Amino acid sequence: MATKQDKIVFHSDKFSKNASKLPKFENHDKQSHKHTTCYMCACRCGIKVTLENNKIRYIQGTPTHPVNKGVLCAKGNAGIMKQISPARLRQPLLRKPGSERGTSEFIPISWDEALDMLTERLKKIRETDPKKLAFFTGRDQMQALTGLWAQQFGTINWAAHGGFCSVNMAAAGLYTTGFSFWEFGDPDWEKTKYFMLWGVAEDHASNPIKIGINRLKERGGKFVAINPVRTGYQAVADEWVPIKPGTDAMLALSLVHVLLKNELFDWEFLVRYTNAHYLVVDTPRKKGDGLFYRNKDGVPQSWDLEKESTVNATDSKIKPALLGNYVTEDGTPVKTVFTIMTERYLDKEYSPEMASKICGVPAKQIERIARELAHVAFKETIEVKTEWTDWTGRKHDKFIGRPVSMHAMRGISAHSNGFQACRSIHFLQVLLGSVDCPGGHLAKPPYPKHVAPPIKPGKNVVPGQPLESFPLGFPQEPEDLAIDDDGNPLRIDKAYSWEAPIANHGLMHMAITNAVAGDPYEIDTMIFFMANMAWNSTMNTSKIRESLCAKKKNGEYKIPFLVVCDAFDSETVGYADLVLPDTTYLERYDTISILDRPISEPHAVCDSIRSPVLEPDRDVRPWQTVLVELASRLKFPAFTKDDGERKFKDYKDFIINFEKAPGIGFLAGWRGENGENSLRGKPNPKQWEKYIENKCFFQYEIADSHKYFRGANKGYLEFAKKVGFNASSDPIIIELYSEKLQKFKLAGMGLYDGPQPKRERDQFRISRFFDPLPSYYIPLEHRCTFSQKFPFYAITQRPMFMYHSWDSQNAWLRQLQAHNYMHMNKAKAEELGIKDLSWVWVESNTGKIKVQVKLMEGVQSDTLWTWNAIGKQKGKWGLEDDANESTKGFLLNHLINEHLPCADTGSPITNSDPITGQAAWYDLKVNIYPAAENEQFGVYPNFEKANKAPGIPETSDILRYNTKKPVRLSRSLRDILTKGGFE
Amino acid sequence: MRLGLVVDLDKCVGCNACAIACKQWNTSGTSGSLTDYRPYGPDPSGVFFNRIRHYETGNYPENKTVHFPMSCMHCEDAACVTVCPTGASYKREEDGIVLVDPEKCMGCNYCAWACPYGARELDREEGIMKKCTLCVDRIYDENLPKSERKPACVMTCPTTARYFGDFDDPESEVSVVSRKREGQELFPELGYKPVNKYLSPRNKVEIDQHDVVEPDLVRKVKDWVNKVVEL
Amino acid sequence: MHPAFSVIFFTVTSGAGYGLIALLCLFNFLYFGMLFDKTNFLIFSGVSVALFTMGLISSTFHLANPKNAWRAFMRFRTSWLAREGLLAILFYPTLFLYLILVYFDFYKDYFLLMQLYSIYIFFFAIVIIYCTGMIYACLKTIPQWNTIWTPINYITIGVYLGSLIFFLLLSINEYNINPYKPILLIVISLAFITKFSYYLSIKGPRHGIGQATNAAIKLKDTNVRLLDVGHTGGTFLTDEFGYNVAERKLSKIKWFSIFSGFFVPFFLIYTYSYLFDNIVLCIFAVVLSFIGMIAERWLFFAQAKHVVNLYHGSQQC
Repeated sequence: MATKQDKIVFHSDKFSKNASKLPKFENHDKQSHKHTTCYMCACRCGIKVTLENNKIRYIQGTPTHPVNKGVLCAKGNAGIMKQISPARLRQPLLRKPGSERGTSEFIPISWDEALDMLTERLKKIRETDPKKLAFFTGRDQMQALTGLWAQQFGTINWAAHGGFCSVNMAAAGLYTTGFSFWEFGDPDWEKTKYFMLWGVAEDHASNPIKIGINRLKERGGKFVAINPVRTGYQAVADEWVPIKPGTDAMLALSLVHVLLKNELFDWEFLVRYTNAHYLVVDTPRKKGDGLFYRNKDGVPQSWDLEKESTVNATDSKIKPALLGNYVTEDGTPVKTVFTIMTERYLDKEYSPEMASKICGVPAKQIERIARELAHVAFKETIEVKTEWTDWTGRKHDKFIGRPVSMHAMRGISAHSNGFQACRSIHFLQVLLGSVDCPGGHLAKPPYPKHVAPPIKPGKNVVPGQPLESFPLGFPQEPEDLAIDDDGNPLRIDKAYSWEAPIANHGLMHMAITNAVAGDPYEIDTMIFFMANMAWNSTMNTSKIRESLCAKKKNGEYKIPFLVVCDAFDSETVGYADLVLPDTTYLERYDTISILDRPISEPHAVCDSIRSPVLEPDRDVRPWQTVLVELASRLKFPAFTKDDGERKFKDYKDFIINFEKAPGIGFLAGWRGENGENSLRGKPNPKQWEKYIENKCFFQYEIADSHKYFRGANKGYLEFAKKVGFNASSDPIIIELYSEKLQKFKLAGMGLYDGPQPKRERDQFRISRFFDPLPSYYIPLEHRCTFSQKFPFYAITQRPMFMYHSWDSQNAWLRQLQAHNYMHMNKAKAEELGIKDLSWVWVESNTGKIKVQVKLMEGVQSDTLWTWNAIGKQKGKWGLEDDANESTKGFLLNHLINEHLPCADTGSPITNSDPITGQAAWYDLKVNIYPAAENEQFGVYPNFEKANKAPGIPETSDILRYNTKKPVRLSRSLRDILTKGGFE
Repeated sequence: MRLGLVVDLDKCVGCNACAIACKQWNTSGTSGSLTDYRPYGPDPSGVFFNRIRHYETGNYPENKTVHFPMSCMHCEDAACVTVCPTGASYKREEDGIVLVDPEKCMGCNYCAWACPYGARELDREEGIMKKCTLCVDRIYDENLPKSERKPACVMTCPTTARYFGDFDDPESEVSVVSRKREGQELFPELGYKPVNKYLSPRNKVEIDQHDVVEPDLVRKVKDWVNKVVEL
Repeated sequence: MHPAFSVIFFTVTSGAGYGLIALLCLFNFLYFGMLFDKTNFLIFSGVSVALFTMGLISSTFHLANPKNAWRAFMRFRTSWLAREGLLAILFYPTLFLYLILVYFDFYKDYFLLMQLYSIYIFFFAIVIIYCTGMIYACLKTIPQWNTIWTPINYITIGVYLGSLIFFLLLSINEYNINPYKPILLIVISLAFITKFSYYLSIKGPRHGIGQATNAAIKLKDTNVRLLDVGHTGGTFLTDEFGYNVAERKLSKIKWFSIFSGFFVPFFLIYTYSYLFDNIVLCIFAVVLSFIGMIAERWLFFAQAKHVVNLYHGSQQC
């Protein structure tokens, strides 16, 4: 792909002539440059940092970097202000003896004291009951390490923030196509002609989407944005579809309806790459119903039209029926997956007319978009002439591309029907044949993986021993759940229980609530890394803050020991018993590993590192270094030699020498003793140096013949196996029909030979929502909320210049947005007598907030929205007491409950997607009404001022950042006196 | 030379990358520092050379949002230069960049009054008017790679919605793109001849959708049953 | 526009000062000699010098970097502000020479030269006021200023204030004021009429948001509105140009300035001249006229809407 810097800038001779007349503005001899990886959000762009006088002169994008190709967003450009933020923690802190938790009263302690104390405590837990440690990490990018650490510790209670971020997207993809959006796949920006952006709330991904939109626009492609709000990316869309929140599945399936109705789908694609032709047992309300019809070896069967009998569905050279009901040789009634699909989606339930009522999108528009998609996919087909071989051995001379692509994120994922909504979007892609084809939605290595990846969640907690596998994995059937014999959850967040069976990222949002309730059990120590759980990263903020301080009858805290690791003085730091101060991203080593959340591009395997640009000026340590240290002290097997000595000197040593499998480590580049191997090879003692030499990233181009149809591309599949991406080189069959979900459904219906839910509520949820084909269902909170009482949807977006960042304290970025408004449709507001910029109450089942309203055109008329995480607690983040963030800024979180407000569920149940446990924080329904005359200023709720952590300085009224005395350019007196005039 | 920028409103997603890149480069550049007021207090503010505003047109649901970055237009007939009493404001003959000589500025704000685009901001700490320099301290720096001799805002723009170059050169990227897309001036009627050009949002992309539907051929599901596709 | 007191004070007092000296010299010219005795003339000139000097000094108070104020005349080639500055500086030696010549009774011996010199000073002073007006009138970005009425107002009001002081000085020193009574009343009326014409001329907006953005946005729908100004605190631009006063308050101040600045002084001077000879009335007229003109000048700024506001949410200005 051409980088932006490749474009030739016309620098005529005149430039050099002028240059000679100018002073030397920059003293390059006094400047140095270091490359590293940005961490202002989760995009992981490559950056080049120019240093001058030991300060940062300039941060710019690395031109050759695969993620950002030289560009950089507002956050990346504001790195300097993060580096000098007054909110940086200075030293380890211990809650002052005798003080109450949550009062931010600390005494500074040394790292030795802190680590000794923590080691002792953790050792005791590990030797008695490792699950008493709950370790949850926020927006970190080192889950391969934290997960390994948790597994080695032996606790099942580990997860990152995916449970309230985007697990629905990851899970839906990995259970359908073997890859997903963002880190898993991207539109083929170079070739796509029609791009649909679903529910992106100015969030993931930052620069890659922007770069892509440019590529699309340069070629004149069409850009359709489906979003209740028209800001950010939606602004430049050719067509904006203001959909009602939480109804995207209906829209996608209605598009599917139109495609099916007009026979606008890719027959070949369905037969060759998906399970559309698989036979499904059709014995309603009987055991085995809805499972694939398999032969005695367990191989799924198809109906061969020539042989007129069942054949192995995965054999090559069969001529399977795509459609039809059959009776097999043994008398079993069966029908093809595609038959079930047509029965389901051709029903008028999914007609544009019906969808229109639910989504608020005109039927004609749905019909037209479906036809446009079909036109581009089938009439504007593209071809890439390259020889390749599919898994059956058949040779092809070209890749056929259906240049329709899609990207979806937050607005799809954060609903309780998000998993099925995301699967619906994948269905649309599959019908159009635009999966991993030229111009379509491309996988990014190590994806695609087999559906679903063959890693099962660990669940056997044994004192003093590691867990049998990572705490998080991909359940394929009810047997894989982390439940005890009585069906009770094993995990503190109840992930992999009947409440959230395929909660692949855990349910971080439930951890505090459950731990405090002792449900399913009490814990001893909770560690939070980089997660603001006492503020914007939680539902029901006020209640959670109380919970964190809740005590047992004996006066002990219900969460006895809380460790918070963060670089900044956040609201959550105030609740810690022990604070471990982290470094900033410019002061540390890191790996962005393929084992973790990769930064690969569709046609290149990539990973990268961070290498320190500056020395910390505080007594702080990078968290990964601390983890390796703790792991060594606690003598985790993977971190300890046979003689009991520590295996790794430090984090860098660990990264070089740790091997997950022979030849496979955290970093894929420059492996082998002399750096001669890529992707797989022996540890290289000079690996870090190699990365630093190469601008801190590694990029391995995939062969042309391996670039597309990778789930069925023999060459690629063999390559992927060789380098350890996949365990086998079997084809990756796209699962339109999910037998895995059907197994759960059968369990819910009491028709499964294996674990089955015992509670009626679980039975209902499992049997209702585990649909083997995606369906639209009303989001759970909407189902149990009176729409007359709470007629509005309420959602959030994160401004692009703060998305995924921690930067309300950033002196440059907060100038753009120091407080937020509740945005509302202008015409609707006028109907209700709500005036622009007036103060209003917004009320939900859970609580109410008083905020300032701002009217606009670009929002769906039943939807309210605001910028997320702008509001801050007085006293925190190094901000002054009268900072707008605490006087006018607010959080919507107060209105969102972590439990469903439904009365009919018996005991409280998580407000999450019933399949994946994804926090359903976009399901919120609210009412809005004007505040009284005497209430026309100030947000509610308003929290008391918190103490600043020790070492956080008072701030000055003037900031004049620079790295040197400026070299000025002056105008001559002669010029002043003689130039122009008297006209 | 007539240096300037082209801003593509069809691509600008309002991300503020250009504004912050500008701030970052220039606070340690020839115009530095770019003072910030109350950086951690109420109503934080500061000197910026480039600001992005956001507009709406039309009524829901036919509305459109337009992100609108604005910085100095480096007018050919720059009123700010005309009105400046001290001669601190000037337009360079060599390349047309409008600059302020900080040694000569008396901070009277008169140039800011004369500018219709809000391109000038007073640095109250220094008492000096400041503005976009088109990164005069980058574009001529021969120690930088050629590809980086561009204003910071142009370098960083993730959607490539900003172009930089010489409008006097008919082959330059800015000339070509503004010819092709009919680059527009803001407030042309004031007669200041702004050099910077804006590319308007494109018309909707029209996609044929009739060739995929032939009502007569809408098949009944049962017709599909015997279609043979080899696996 | 944000009404800065230093600038209001500057324009009012310097206008009055130049107006006064212009009249003093004009009447020397018309009188074919010294209207006053030498001492009084020098005192009266001193009052004028004090007024415009105070004004000029005051004008430097709004400078953010006053140490460079001395450079303000450098760009007289293009800048009305520089022209005003330069002429104001040159006026001092010119006037001092004139006063020295007056002191040494040159009117007796060099009548023609002094006549020419007198009328020269008159025009010089008027031109300075004109330049002051043009500082504002030349700004196309501020439609309420960008009118010929602006320099006309500056001149008529400067002359009006100058003539009131002139009249007062005559009265205090018991000169025969009879010939000046109708003239003064005419000057007041003229100042009022020109000012009122100004108010009529700035009625209604001259620029719309369409001009500011539509050329670029160029969508069929011309209905552009601000969605988000892009920063939640103020900026230099909103502080400097975002000054916004309620229409009602503006209107009140307008009528106050008209009454206090024109109507009442006219009535007082008329009463003093023809009905009730008490110097207090005349003093009141001077004080009220200054208050009224300060209000007028405040209004001149407060009513002025810089076009940059179109980018910040104003639909018109």
